[in-house]
Amino acid sequence: MYIVKRVLTMFLTIWIIATLTFIIMKFIPGDPFVSDADVLPEEVLQNIRAKYNLDKPLPVQYALYMKNLLMFDLGPSIQSETRDVNTLIADGFPVSALLGLQSLIIALVFGLLLGIVAALNHNRFLDYAAMFLAIIGISVPSFILAPLLIKYFAVEWKLLPVASWGTWAHSVLPSVALATTPMAVIARFIRSSMLEVMKQNYIKTAEAKGLSPIAIVVKHGIRNAILPVITFIGPLFVVLITGTFVIEKIFAIPGLGKYFVDSIFNRDYPVILGTTVFLVLFL
Amino acid sequence: MRKAFSNLSALLLLVSTILAGCSSNQTSSDAERKEEATKNVKQEITLNALSEPPSLDPALATDTTSGWVIDHLFEGLYTKNKKGEPVLGAASDVKVSDDGKTYTFTIREDAKWSDGDPVTAQDFEYAWKRVLNPETGSAFAFYMYYIKGAEEYNKGKASVDEVGVKALDDKTLQVQLDAPLSYFDKLLTMWTFYPVKKSLVESNKKWAAEAEGYVSNGAYKLTSWKHNSEVVVEKNEHYWNKDEINMEKVTWKMVNDATTYYQMYKTGELDLIQTLPTDVIAQEKDSEEFKIVPYFGTYMFMFNVEKEPFNNPKIRRAFAMAINRKAIVNNITKSGETPAYAFVPYGVNTPDGDFRKVGGTYFKENAKEAKKLLQEGMKEEGWNKLPEVTLMYNTAENNKKVAEAVQEMIKNTLGVKIKLANQEWKTYLETTAQSNFQMARMGWIGIFVDPTVILDYYLGDSPNNRTKWVNGKFDNLMAQAKVEQDETKRFQLLHEAEKVLMADMPFMPVYFYSQNYLTSKKFKGIVYPINRYPDVRWAKKIAD
Repeated sequence: MYIVKRVLTMFLTIWIIATLTFIIMKFIPGDPFVSDADVLPEEVLQNIRAKYNLDKPLPVQYALYMKNLLMFDLGPSIQSETRDVNTLIADGFPVSALLGLQSLIIALVFGLLLGIVAALNHNRFLDYAAMFLAIIGISVPSFILAPLLIKYFAVEWKLLPVASWGTWAHSVLPSVALATTPMAVIARFIRSSMLEVMKQNYIKTAEAKGLSPIAIVVKHGIRNAILPVITFIGPLFVVLITGTFVIEKIFAIPGLGKYFVDSIFNRDYPVILGTTVFLVLFL
Repeated sequence: MRKAFSNLSALLLLVSTILAGCSSNQTSSDAERKEEATKNVKQEITLNALSEPPSLDPALATDTTSGWVIDHLFEGLYTKNKKGEPVLGAASDVKVSDDGKTYTFTIREDAKWSDGDPVTAQDFEYAWKRVLNPETGSAFAFYMYYIKGAEEYNKGKASVDEVGVKALDDKTLQVQLDAPLSYFDKLLTMWTFYPVKKSLVESNKKWAAEAEGYVSNGAYKLTSWKHNSEVVVEKNEHYWNKDEINMEKVTWKMVNDATTYYQMYKTGELDLIQTLPTDVIAQEKDSEEFKIVPYFGTYMFMFNVEKEPFNNPKIRRAFAMAINRKAIVNNITKSGETPAYAFVPYGVNTPDGDFRKVGGTYFKENAKEAKKLLQEGMKEEGWNKLPEVTLMYNTAENNKKVAEAVQEMIKNTLGVKIKLANQEWKTYLETTAQSNFQMARMGWIGIFVDPTVILDYYLGDSPNNRTKWVNGKFDNLMAQAKVEQDETKRFQLLHEAEKVLMADMPFMPVYFYSQNYLTSKKFKGIVYPINRYPDVRWAKKIAD
């Protein structure tokens, strides 16, 4: 019963969001087919609109879209004329997901490490050093960090390719650039909750029992301190795997992130709706 | 995920050629040894398409990125030679009837598709009628309206059988035009007129969506298309003129970020890049690898001739004369643009020389004269004070800088304060299409190199003409020029038409565009057309 209820709520949410997106989207002035300065004769435009069912009245367009959505058909892309939204997502999502997972792992491993080291060395040099790194991680935006990474790791030291996609080596720099901010956030989360946890009575009990400091930190400390981070990982995970516009642009990555932004500038209605629905499905 | 990594070997190959490039340092002046060394150089080049080509279907493509790839994959009845002139391509012969309305093309005996099948006249007939079919929804269908019955069919007013394109037999294609068209050969080099393989396209609607199963008839065949990442084409062994083609493999990466592609060029991951950011131009402008090529387009401000104060021609002219174009191209755009005092850019060869040089300039910048004209104009309209003017532009860094400079210049020379407003591109297009502006920025680039495509912009019934300016004399001259068979007379008519346009000035030209490139010294023979991206069909890699 619970599951049925959840699934129904999910469909309701998707329907509401798809409808709202549809309405807002149609309010943006502009035409998807007037792409360059070149204006097409009205009859030619009519033919193209007919191809995408955009010549029909809005309620009909809406009904058609919802019908196709039920069958998981997100329709054709207007910008990529020969391809449809389903394939755009099928092509882009694995790339974004791989990148997102890698950066999530980097963020978690290094974030935890930094946070724990900082907490255990509270108010000492290592704490300040780790938190200094974290502050930098939060305050330096990825579009600054990414070119810096490229400049040193690719151009100066020639260790990794500058950009593009294909081998694993191509995914290293973008994963690092993408991971920095979440890593810093995780580090600060862990530090504060670790400090909290280490003051608890059960830690004192563990110390009194004569457990080794490592056992205390791993078994009692981290396990309890990680809870707030876990609640934060859910949405972070979705944000990371659905792609990021900036990182994808800088590193020329064929991911999903660009569609969220480009589709709006192109007035590519099916892609706007498709990516939104896809994102909602994940959240 | 597997898909993304499947072409590992191709990439390794690429990386290895790049790595190899670091080790050798050939400086020998001995021509023979150079020739010998060249033989062993892998003939591969990596370009940057900037973004995913929206469509590799010649019937649907409307942008220069798609056109760049398609021009390497296909060949029309006419193709462009190294000088950019139209020469016979897939056709070996053409006969034009005396009235100039009927063209009979003979398709080359050895014209073949990349799968080895012969290219037939039926393929051309099918391809063109497919463009015109309203259901195809081809945006460039109107470029075919010169063909008899084409416009009617595309607009749903006539049947397909009335279209004047007919395959008389496997190798003979007959085309009937409504009226003689002097630049029909140039028009036929456009990708919209390329053939598609009838049997393939009929059986597979999505034939152009992926590299697999994609068939073309030009110098190259499509071997890999990783969407949003790269397109790879390789020499088509069935191409009739394959001996002329030197470059074996061309890769287009899709890198949109200017800093990134500049760095990829620096590390050798890209061999040729275009559209450099201004800071890079400043850094590279003295380098041998840097190149500026004029681009066949004009940057301008349109005037709405029905809105005050630009309903007065003298005031329009005053504005045009009041700005300093040299300062704009030297200090703001800084990428080799040329100040424009007319509409048609440089680059059109006519029997008397370059069209622009023959036509000359139509006005001069002169602050005093401009002020005088403004006063006269205001007097004619009975204004003591000039109605408020807002200059509109679409949101972009360069447009903003130019608009601000113009604002300042107008203030200094005419003593008129104008306001600036900007809108995002698509919104802007809609606003200007409704002629909801006084003065608005626009750019226009000729899809083929002929004054007609530029001047057509301001025809009374042109959907591009947002200025509400309609001039019977101008329209008339343009119509005459289109049917004039004598080249010299035709260009005379076009000069006259431009003169009429520039006398009235429904717009003020600012500059003629330019394109800038960085090309690796390892390559020779790349052709830089003035209205397309570089053509690498004849390029040669001379060093690793």
